[in-house]
Amino acid sequence: MNEEIIKITGLTKRYGYGDAESFALKDFDLTIKRGEFIMIMGPSGCGKTTLLNIIGLLDRATSGEYILNDRNIANISSTRQARIRAKKIGFIFQNYNLIDDLPILENVALPLVYIGQPRTVRLKNASEALKRFHLGEKEYYYPWQLSGGQQQRAAIARAIVSNPEIILADEPTGNLDSRTSYIVMDELKKIHEEGNTIVMVTHNPSLTTYATRVINMLDGQIDTDIKTVDDKNLPQPISVKKKKRSKRRKR
Amino acid sequence: MAMLFRTHLKLARTSIKENRTRSFLTCLGIAIGIASIILILSLTGSISKLISSELESIGSDLIVVRPSSTKDGITSVIEELTSSNSFERSTLKVEDTKSISEIEQVTVAAPIALSVNTITNEDNTVASATILGTTTDFFTMEPLAFRYGTALSEKNKETSVVIGHMLSLYLFNTSNPVGRTLNFHGQRFIVVGVLEEVTDSINFNNIDYNNILIMDVNVLNDLIGSLQVQQINAKVANTSELASTAEAIQKLLLEQHSGDTNFTVSYGDAIAHPASSLLNIISGMLAIVASVSLVVGGIGVMNIMLVSVAERTHEIGIRKAVGASSRNILMQFMFESLIMSILGGIMGIILGYILAFFASSITPFAPYISWQILLIVFATTIGVGVIFGIYPAIKAASKNPIDSLKHYR
Repeated sequence: MNEEIIKITGLTKRYGYGDAESFALKDFDLTIKRGEFIMIMGPSGCGKTTLLNIIGLLDRATSGEYILNDRNIANISSTRQARIRAKKIGFIFQNYNLIDDLPILENVALPLVYIGQPRTVRLKNASEALKRFHLGEKEYYYPWQLSGGQQQRAAIARAIVSNPEIILADEPTGNLDSRTSYIVMDELKKIHEEGNTIVMVTHNPSLTTYATRVINMLDGQIDTDIKTVDDKNLPQPISVKKKKRSKRRKR
Repeated sequence: MAMLFRTHLKLARTSIKENRTRSFLTCLGIAIGIASIILILSLTGSISKLISSELESIGSDLIVVRPSSTKDGITSVIEELTSSNSFERSTLKVEDTKSISEIEQVTVAAPIALSVNTITNEDNTVASATILGTTTDFFTMEPLAFRYGTALSEKNKETSVVIGHMLSLYLFNTSNPVGRTLNFHGQRFIVVGVLEEVTDSINFNNIDYNNILIMDVNVLNDLIGSLQVQQINAKVANTSELASTAEAIQKLLLEQHSGDTNFTVSYGDAIAHPASSLLNIISGMLAIVASVSLVVGGIGVMNIMLVSVAERTHEIGIRKAVGASSRNILMQFMFESLIMSILGGIMGIILGYILAFFASSITPFAPYISWQILLIVFATTIGVGVIFGIYPAIKAASKNPIDSLKHYR
């Protein structure tokens, strides 16, 4: 138990060259274990979002190793990265990022499209995920017909619909008032207790009570790293799903 | 992949439906290009069908010898059209006819020697009538119908002529001048026959039978001198010997012309060559003009796709964040432009045939629909969709997900 899902060593992200050179991340090390709920805090421009983007394979580091499930994926092709993104990573954004032209149900089912599930399975899974977040009646609403809290809950449903290894949340409560913030945080807490691993960036110190580990960043490096829950007591999924690899899509 | 195919199809459909007016106008651009191509192909198709049906009516046992220049096809066809003295270039002679008819398999052969000259009688003068010098065998080869009188015969060929329907009206102000006389080069000829009016003016001999004066080739040669033969027609006894006989004629003429190949021996479909090569040039030109409008339509597709990509930058970012690869995005936008151009193509086919039927009601051509035309058009629309869709699709696929997510409309 307590297996390491992500191991990052010597991660560096540089912008510019010569005099204009600046580092968003500098020789950054981080190990994430299954069941952790990590909150990353720090002043603006300390590299929080860059870190999240690199973990989420939306961005590439200048140098360093990134091992996900015992596989170094820092330098694999962007097509393979996209496939890993679809299967193993769930994103939650500050501005929800739902597609306005698609109903909530199809928005939630979107990651499953790129995994290659058939339409009926996709919609069934998406519908179940929505029910978990009390949006069962809103399936055919469009994002702009929902409130901010409801949209963010739909976005969380989208993040977990493909059963990812890790959920990345970039200030998920940033656009919400404090009451809906807590509703959303309660939902995150619930999925964490089911054994999901969450990495969340936030500016709000009062939310750190939800976390099992709080990391403070400064100038692209870790300032403080406090674990509030012992590794032994991290919630674990009831059965660690061995993903079916038999039907691997060929490219 | 098959799963994604259906998803892309559905996405493209939604996107096109959402921007109904915009998509319709874009499709219309393609449709106009396709319609003009359909119109041109179906009309030229009907004309070449007319020519081949003409060929069928003269029979498949015919061999035609024509003088040829050493220039290539297109130049010589254009030269024939533009130069007034194209008659002068012939290298065939009356004697060639005689030697051809002596070949075993050839049943009958007749020369066609055309000359333009003045004909007069007591009342009227026709300044530039076409005079056909030939032999009596011509009448046995050509299925010419007579309105009045008879054909030339061996007995009367020295002093008699046969004239066309219209020429008879011009010259004699009557449709039945049989027995009356006309003057040509100071000599009097008796009209022994008048041809039936011919409605389809196209034939492989390039003769307008309504305005013709037919007389014996030797008499014509004696009168105007240095007469040249434009064409020699020969009939073969057995159609299976067509090719071998044509070869024999080729060999014979080569000997007589001291080795110069300044003539062509043709049979079957090749007889219609001058007319159909001219048709090919014209339809080619028209097709180029039509494809210009298709290119304009294609640019319209590209323009709209670029707008669509820009509008949906945020969506592209989201799709990439949840796991779409660049290739998925590329396919999504390629499908959209492909479907748009295929819809335009279908609209164009319908529009084109409506126009073609409309054109057929005011011209003698019936629109000609063949699966080849449909195939060409289908391939063209797919080509347009791919060519003009690939750049916007690549642009969409190469967008950076982080920047795209920040992008708001």
